[in-house]
Amino acid sequence: MRPVNKNQGHRFYAQQLSYTGRMGLESHNTEGSQGQAARKPRWRLVFPFLQFLPFLPALLALLIVISLAWLPWKAQRLESAERQEQLIADTLWVEQGVRLQLAQDEEWLRQVAAEIATGRLVPIDLQKRAAQWLVTRREVVRLRWLDANGRVLAATDTSVPASAVLSEASLVAADRVRRTGRASYAPPARQSGRQSPMQIDYHLPLLQSGHYHGSLVATYATAAILEQMVPWWFAQDNEITLTCADDSIIERRAAGGPGRGVYTHVHALDLPGANLTLRTNSLKTLPNLLPNLLVGAVIALTLGLLASLLALWRDINRRLQVESALRQQVSFRTAMENSLVTGLRARDIAGRVTYVNPAFCKMVGTEAVDLVGRMPPMPYWVPEAMADYQKRFAEVLAGTITPQGFETVFQRAGGARFPVLIFESPLLDATGRQTGWMGSILDISDSKRIEDLNRQQQEKLESSARLASMGEIASTLAHELNQPLAAISSYTTGALNLLNGCARTGSTPDPAGLRLALERASIQAQRAGQIIRSVHAFVKQHEASRAPVSVRTLIDGIVPLVELQAHKSFVVLRVDIAPGLPSVLADRVLIEQVLLNLTRNAIESMEDIAPQQRILQITASRNGGDGGVRIAVIDHGHGIAAPIAERLFSPFFSTKAEGMGMGLNICRTAIEFHGGQLVYSENPAGGTIFEFALPPVAAVVAGASATAASEAGKPAIVVAPAPAPAPAVSANNRHT
Amino acid sequence: MLHIVDDEEVIRDSLTWLARSRDIAATAYPGGKAFLNSLQEHVSFSAEGDCLLLDVRMPDLSGSALFDELGLRGLITRMPVIFLTGHGDVPMAVDTLKRGAFDFFEKPFNDNKLMDRVLEALAASREANVAAAVQQRLTGLSLREREVLALILAGNMNKVIADKLGISMRTVEVHRAHIFDKMNVKTAVELARLLK
Repeated sequence: MRPVNKNQGHRFYAQQLSYTGRMGLESHNTEGSQGQAARKPRWRLVFPFLQFLPFLPALLALLIVISLAWLPWKAQRLESAERQEQLIADTLWVEQGVRLQLAQDEEWLRQVAAEIATGRLVPIDLQKRAAQWLVTRREVVRLRWLDANGRVLAATDTSVPASAVLSEASLVAADRVRRTGRASYAPPARQSGRQSPMQIDYHLPLLQSGHYHGSLVATYATAAILEQMVPWWFAQDNEITLTCADDSIIERRAAGGPGRGVYTHVHALDLPGANLTLRTNSLKTLPNLLPNLLVGAVIALTLGLLASLLALWRDINRRLQVESALRQQVSFRTAMENSLVTGLRARDIAGRVTYVNPAFCKMVGTEAVDLVGRMPPMPYWVPEAMADYQKRFAEVLAGTITPQGFETVFQRAGGARFPVLIFESPLLDATGRQTGWMGSILDISDSKRIEDLNRQQQEKLESSARLASMGEIASTLAHELNQPLAAISSYTTGALNLLNGCARTGSTPDPAGLRLALERASIQAQRAGQIIRSVHAFVKQHEASRAPVSVRTLIDGIVPLVELQAHKSFVVLRVDIAPGLPSVLADRVLIEQVLLNLTRNAIESMEDIAPQQRILQITASRNGGDGGVRIAVIDHGHGIAAPIAERLFSPFFSTKAEGMGMGLNICRTAIEFHGGQLVYSENPAGGTIFEFALPPVAAVVAGASATAASEAGKPAIVVAPAPAPAPAVSANNRHT
Repeated sequence: MLHIVDDEEVIRDSLTWLARSRDIAATAYPGGKAFLNSLQEHVSFSAEGDCLLLDVRMPDLSGSALFDELGLRGLITRMPVIFLTGHGDVPMAVDTLKRGAFDFFEKPFNDNKLMDRVLEALAASREANVAAAVQQRLTGLSLREREVLALILAGNMNKVIADKLGISMRTVEVHRAHIFDKMNVKTAVELARLLK
């Protein structure tokens, strides 16, 4: 991984945050310069007990469970006590009620007694008043007036015989009343027999000037007392019992059924002379532990709360895990992005740069802050390729881009250009909606350089191979011609030797010998001629390969190759083919070689000029003369100086260090072979124009010959036919 | 005798014609093997000398290989070799020159200059033949005769020789007569010239 300077790293990090939210906060802290001490949060030092904070939910849950158990219990206790108190209060109230009623009866009796004492009330009157009174006092069974001897003077009820007026207990009470002169109740007793109802007698002494002379006896039915004096609602809820001092039950009222024995109260009914006890026994049972809906709801809600707390806790745990994994992912991604040598650049839908990675910044030599948020045109765009970018950008926005890379040129901050390969892919957000484009940019300078190196080596190899094959052919040709020439030389020299010898000696030469030698020399001369002719024939074989071909096919065939070279030299290629051009009769390979040769020269001639002017044009238009096609290769390079121009097409003339001086020569020959001329002229806008015409198919078929190539009167250099070049040998030759 | 070894019939024919025009007897061989075969039959040296005109490039046995073969047989002094080279064979020809070839000519050559060199080669061949003959005669002498020969060439009189070798004068004279006879000379001067 390449070292990233700290500022850049932080800036990039800030950038990163905008993508990942707060996920990176932790690692951001660790990245800071606060050191190890800062890792422990300060608040933990100040509030040490807070370290138990994580256990707080568990503690709370425990408290809630305890209170959940305790509260109903307490509530039950409270309610139970309340019911007991209620019962006591009710019992007291009932007792008071009973006492009050009895007291009212006593009061009425006392008034009656007072009237009797005055003597205004006779037994008959009493009987009448008592009858009226009894109607309202239903608990009173009867009222009797007894004289001092216990005889009945008046009674509301005559059904009972006078002798059996009073029960045993009542007699005791009557006696006591007589003695004491105070009113008294008799203990409850049955009137007669076991089946008769329990009754209580109230004895009120009738005193006249301190002397006892009778009593008023009111008889109460105990059942009626409970029936009349206890309110119905109380009786409904409680079993009420009257008991004697010895706990024997006198009367019981259980309207709502027997008591449960849970809530009971015993209260003495203080009646003078009668020791009675009022017992109440509530029908209510103990209150339920979960007595009502409210508590149930509270418990249910609490349990729900606990459950949701648990769920929340689990959710938080899960979130923490996810967060940790995410953080790990983010740091992994960050490391990945930082280690990449591939530049990454994200753009939003509008084309604004939203993200660049360090590799990209390094590539274009611009800080991330200067790139993020920018709209096109970008600082790393080169002016001459602007049209290229705009087209590509429009394609990207339209979504019609292809996954395979797009090759173009960027520039560094310093203006240096470098070739790049760009891959674009859609950038989707979490919902799958497209928010922009992510592009990865590969600096292919190195691979380009290697490619170029390979190509140059390949070319050198081909060149030397061509040289070797040329040499071989030349050598073969030389050898082939050497033999007959050497033989001719030997025959003629020998003949001369003979003649010279004869001249010296004065003898006559042998004509037969001389003829033989000369004949043989002649044969060898013919043989040499045949060799030359066979070379010509070899050249002529090429005519057969001419075929009708469209100009577009011709030019399209070489455009990829030319573009390859043009890209390398940052040259813009413009191809302009006029519409409706006729097909031409041409050797496609030869013409392609010519075009490649010319474009190569053109590209090389523009290597030293400003990149904006590096424009290579290939135009094809209709030729006015024979209706053929005129093809021009136009550059804006350094042009050709006049002295060089004169020798431009000479064989073995080259301005290049590695050149063999055959390229243009062969081009010319090839064009002449097609019946045209290769014409050079200066480009008025600077640079050179090489032009040639190809005949239309019909013209060639009609027999338009290729021989009249060299005609005077052209302003430009018009090339004479070559002596005897062999295009077959040099068709691949691209050097001038 | 000029031996022409070349795979090209035209060259053999024209060179033969050229040699004849200079009164040089010539025999042509179509290849190195054909020439070696002729040597196998009879290694006979002609009185006028022998010379080999050898084409470097030949299909069956190259001129260089043939030259090496002749070198192994110790024939190149008595049968000087002139190479005929084509285009590009010059380095090889120079190499053979260093190894004892008489000369090389690059095609196309000046025919009469070639013939002049052929004549010189033939003369060299003849000299080599003479030297070879003398050497052969010397091998016919006995040990005592060689001692006597050495003393004669040193210019000693018979008497001195007899003294030096401790033999009688008569014996010296007999040896001397034998030497003259074996060396095919008549006088001591002639002998000295022969063994110079």
